[in-house]
Amino acid sequence: MMFRNMLTVAITFIAITTFSQENAHLSLSLDPALKKNANAVIRLNDIEITIEAQDKMNTKVKRIITVLNKQGNSKVNAYLHYDNTVKIKTLEALVYNAFGKEIKKIKKNSFNDVSAVDGGTLYSDSRLKYLEYTPVNYPYTIELNYETTSTSTAFLRPFAPLEGYYVSTENSTYKIISPSNIEIRKKEKNLNGYHLKKEGELHYTAKNLHAIKKETHSPLFVNFSPQVLFSASQFSLEGVSAAAATWTDFGKWMYNDLIKDAYDLSPETINTVKNLVAEENDPIEKAKKIYQYVQDKTRYISVQVGIGGWKPFNASEVDKLGYGDCKGLTNYTMALLKAVDVEANYSVVFSGSSQRDIEHDFASMQGNHVILSIPTNDDQTIWLECTSQKLPFGFIGDFTDNRDVLVVTPEGGIIKRTKKYETNESAQITKGQYTITEDGSISASMLVNSTGIQYDNKYYLETMDKTELQRHYKEHWSYVNNINMIKTDLKNNKTDIEFTEHIDFSASNYATVVGDRMLITLNATNRNTYTPNRYRHRKLPLKINRGFKDIDNIDITLPKGYKIEAMFQNKTIKTIFGEYKISLEQKDASTLSYKREFSINDGEFSKDDYQAFRDFYKEVAKHDNSKIALIKNN
Amino acid sequence: MRITLVFILLLSYSISAQNYNFGKISKEELEETSNPMDPDAVATYLYKNRNTFYEYNQEKGFQLITEIHERIKIYTSEGFDYATKTINLYKSGSTKEKITNIKAVTYSLEGDKIESIKLKKNGVFKTELSKYYDQTKFTLPNLKPKSIVEYKYRISSPFIQNIDEFQFQHAIPIKKLEARFENPEYFNFKINTKGFLRVSPETTEGYGSIKFLNKSSSQSGFGNKSTNFSYSDVKYQKYEKKYNLTNVPALKLEPYVDNINNYRSAVKFELSYTKFPNSTIDYYTRTWEDVVKTIYESSNFGAELNKTRYFEEDITALIKGVSNPSKKIELIFNYVKSRLKWNGYHSKYTSGGVKKAYKDQVGNVAEINLMLTAMLRYAGLNANPVLVSTRSNGIPLFPTREGYNYIVTAVSLNNEPVLLDATNKFAMPNILPSKALNWKGRIIRKDGKSALINLYPSKKSKTIISMAVNLADEGDINGVIRTVKTGHSAMNYRQSYVPSNKEDYLERMENNYGGMEISDFEVKNDLDLSKPVMESFKFSKENQFEVINNQLYLSPMFFLTTKENPFKSNQRLFPVNFGHPQSNKYTISITIPEGYKVESLPKQKMLKLPQNMGSFKYHIASTPQSIQIVVNAEMNQAIVPSTYYDTLKQYFKTMIEAENEKIVLSK
Repeated sequence: MMFRNMLTVAITFIAITTFSQENAHLSLSLDPALKKNANAVIRLNDIEITIEAQDKMNTKVKRIITVLNKQGNSKVNAYLHYDNTVKIKTLEALVYNAFGKEIKKIKKNSFNDVSAVDGGTLYSDSRLKYLEYTPVNYPYTIELNYETTSTSTAFLRPFAPLEGYYVSTENSTYKIISPSNIEIRKKEKNLNGYHLKKEGELHYTAKNLHAIKKETHSPLFVNFSPQVLFSASQFSLEGVSAAAATWTDFGKWMYNDLIKDAYDLSPETINTVKNLVAEENDPIEKAKKIYQYVQDKTRYISVQVGIGGWKPFNASEVDKLGYGDCKGLTNYTMALLKAVDVEANYSVVFSGSSQRDIEHDFASMQGNHVILSIPTNDDQTIWLECTSQKLPFGFIGDFTDNRDVLVVTPEGGIIKRTKKYETNESAQITKGQYTITEDGSISASMLVNSTGIQYDNKYYLETMDKTELQRHYKEHWSYVNNINMIKTDLKNNKTDIEFTEHIDFSASNYATVVGDRMLITLNATNRNTYTPNRYRHRKLPLKINRGFKDIDNIDITLPKGYKIEAMFQNKTIKTIFGEYKISLEQKDASTLSYKREFSINDGEFSKDDYQAFRDFYKEVAKHDNSKIALIKNN
Repeated sequence: MRITLVFILLLSYSISAQNYNFGKISKEELEETSNPMDPDAVATYLYKNRNTFYEYNQEKGFQLITEIHERIKIYTSEGFDYATKTINLYKSGSTKEKITNIKAVTYSLEGDKIESIKLKKNGVFKTELSKYYDQTKFTLPNLKPKSIVEYKYRISSPFIQNIDEFQFQHAIPIKKLEARFENPEYFNFKINTKGFLRVSPETTEGYGSIKFLNKSSSQSGFGNKSTNFSYSDVKYQKYEKKYNLTNVPALKLEPYVDNINNYRSAVKFELSYTKFPNSTIDYYTRTWEDVVKTIYESSNFGAELNKTRYFEEDITALIKGVSNPSKKIELIFNYVKSRLKWNGYHSKYTSGGVKKAYKDQVGNVAEINLMLTAMLRYAGLNANPVLVSTRSNGIPLFPTREGYNYIVTAVSLNNEPVLLDATNKFAMPNILPSKALNWKGRIIRKDGKSALINLYPSKKSKTIISMAVNLADEGDINGVIRTVKTGHSAMNYRQSYVPSNKEDYLERMENNYGGMEISDFEVKNDLDLSKPVMESFKFSKENQFEVINNQLYLSPMFFLTTKENPFKSNQRLFPVNFGHPQSNKYTISITIPEGYKVESLPKQKMLKLPQNMGSFKYHIASTPQSIQIVVNAEMNQAIVPSTYYDTLKQYFKTMIEAENEKIVLSK
């Protein structure tokens, strides 16, 4: 997202050796096992990379894909990025019908040529050539042939014969030729159990890999699919050359060649921040003031040009413009901290809620985002997200939590794990009061306090206007009809990282009146309505990325003229995935006390545990609907 | 178009911007922390000026000039997006729109002083976006909450017929808006105004002076040729429209709005004719008839419609021996649907042409449906193309060529028009894809005459659900369910069912029903569009009723109960669009478990919306063995005006309450 697209720099290819092409164009003869769960079948993906010199790499690709249905069209990947360092030498596409007859040939010039700027980027010099093709019938087969040259060798695309969910692979071959005696390192991942063959140190083939169906709550695809990662120990990136085979050396290179020079604050700015923290002695207190200063002064704007895709804007530039991308803003914050003698380090990470790790034992260009880390005496590293104007100091949320990242220090790179938000820390604690009246309507008043990852789910509410906020709560409690919002007071305590919602609402026809009886669902404001999907045959392990805990304490005032006919059974469910507890207690003739606790733990479990996990959620959903019956006093 | 006549226009105009000169920012404006008229606004246009006029240039002829000057107050960081400006410039080959004179400044208050930071040249980014557009983007430096940004630029366009819409309402409020359009008498425009907020211009007619350069040749005797130049002054008339608005409220999105642009206040100047000195009048568009004529006469429309040779042989063979017109329509419609794949492009004009589309078996909307029309005509039927504006294109309130972007076919059967769209495999006669169901279509007959035509089906799309339920232990139920769908409901069903992987479809369905377990799943007529689509399965589902004190409480529609009112807002400005008229009928039979009897039943219900817009009937009866429920919910029209919003909201509320009422069974 904030680095330029890595594939851009790393697309590669080569000729086939003994493969019969005719068969690959025929879709009718496909092995049914390859069609199962597949929207497309990679008949052949043949990649040959030749590293002619530290700054010259050729990539040759022949790619034949049979598309089985509409969803499979996106797997064709008929697009190529190019820019100042990557040139497209040849490019053509051939389309075949189900009988293997060639029906169309598309030359390089007939590919559409567009700017590769996405919505979040102000400018990028990267461009894209893509094929626009409307299939007449399914299945059909496309063959893509292309050759690119690149002056960057920092990225060697991995051998990843399984390309994602719902796509199978009949044949995939991969070969790196390195006549220049440049050392190529590699790391094999998850190769067991697949038809893979090592033909040479840098030469792999794979055959008949079956498609995998996507399942909810499963590990990240890259963490279980077969891959071989490659990296050149001497490489070049947009004209900057480097030699690094370990994270220590890699980090040193990044620090010296990409980061160090970007530290160029003016004496005026240094003075300004020195004055800003003049009263503070504690480095953490200083850092808080600097972070606030950066948040007030800057915003996130992405501009990616040449080496600027990898190297931060100079600190002086960010200081002048008041904006930058993740690299620029992180470097700027680091520079300001340095000016007031607080040590901080540029840290490279894979962003996103899926918690992808930087490979801790394989040094190469990785990651797509940059954050800042501040070491502390008690070894509780503080992590700063420098692209946000909203996040509290030290809070990174689910965007970069709990994963291995590369911390770049002047002494070299170190792999560190970012903060994990534990189950008890990610809490939502609700204290509330419901009043039910004789006509079945409810009025509720609640104080909801959220921390940890649950804070992350809430703080954006602060940016909503009143109408949007009312709409949000009505949607949030969609199981309560006819809501009339009375109060929505929000408090964002950034010091303690706590978000408090004070909400009052009323709703007519909440309870069901049947003759002399009234049925009341006790949980009106925190029902679990989620049941994980059912799979007839679960294939992937169960992975819960983050835990959380909800505690609700609600006093319920009953309508006049009614007495309780039937209470409900208190319930406690304990599982390896979490706990659920509800209880009801009569405080006096007209008041009940309803208590609920629900927690889910993070962790990895076997695929056989999935059913029990789903059942737990189902049970919770069921008990969250528990009702009591009231009957009229005669 | 380029004017070759040599003459010089001396334009004189002045912008009345005394209080809004570039850079004249006041401290008060910078100190303001929120917009008093709209405290929730993240930003506000303090001033928005657009000046569009014609300029004559010796080399290029007439150019269309647009000058923009905007001043925006940014209150919070959520408003920072307004400090980034994106300008798309159209091009066609080497003819391009050009942007010049970009000037942009950020103003902030530093203590007591106004600090102004200018945008530098290297902060302006130019990109070649695609074959048709270049893009210029910039973002203002040194932005903080409370900052004011101000920018101006000038676009000169050789595309002198196309005046971009003047928009008067945006997602943020505007304090002062000035817009001006000036045209010399040679260009005549039709003005189309739309939106909830009405605007009217101040119109001035005046005279300008043209310095006219005359060139004449004279020949006397043999080969003695001379050229004479002379200047003469010609008076010309100019027309000026000025819009001056203050405190324009923000245009806010509401759920279930088809297209917000239908409601945005805006003015569109549509060129109707040009009349240059010493030349004849060239008509563009003025009335719907003119629009139709222009489209019809376009080589990418009428001429394409008249081509037949490429399909004659195939169609002759296809309809050989068939005389029944209805059978002919069916054969041809299905033939086009199966032969041609839609390439995803909406257009009223062909792109590669019908012949190529027929050969490649791929085409855009115009190619496919013009071809269909031509084939039907060839088969001796009375078929005509119908111009349509898709929902995303908005409602064509005024006669403009851009007003339509889609074509369907109308063929007469027993003197009634039948609408066909062959771009969608699951479309049926008179059942057009939802995106094409927008306002009205315009049918173009062979003689070029046109008329409005209704696009919505006269019959309601039906969903008929029959369900038999057994009550099992502890609130679990099982049973069988059978669903029959017609019209749009059937089309939507087929669209999601037919292309899907069947196992995935079933899993998705189970999960959509909150983890219901399904067996014996069967679908009939999924590919036979002439019959209603039918789906049946056995199900079992947990937690569907309450067991309290030996009594069973159940809502008889179980998981089919409408649980949520889709209308949650307290008020609404825009009409509600249900897509198409529809009726849903439920017939449910519940077996009473052994040893139980009916304690109480909900009452019968009958609800009606005004003007026969919709109705809801709820009928319930019981025997000692079972309970029968029949529910009929009908929406007789697709669009409900916002004046009925409260009524509609109340109607849904009452309907949901009725569906949720409990049956009580006791031992």
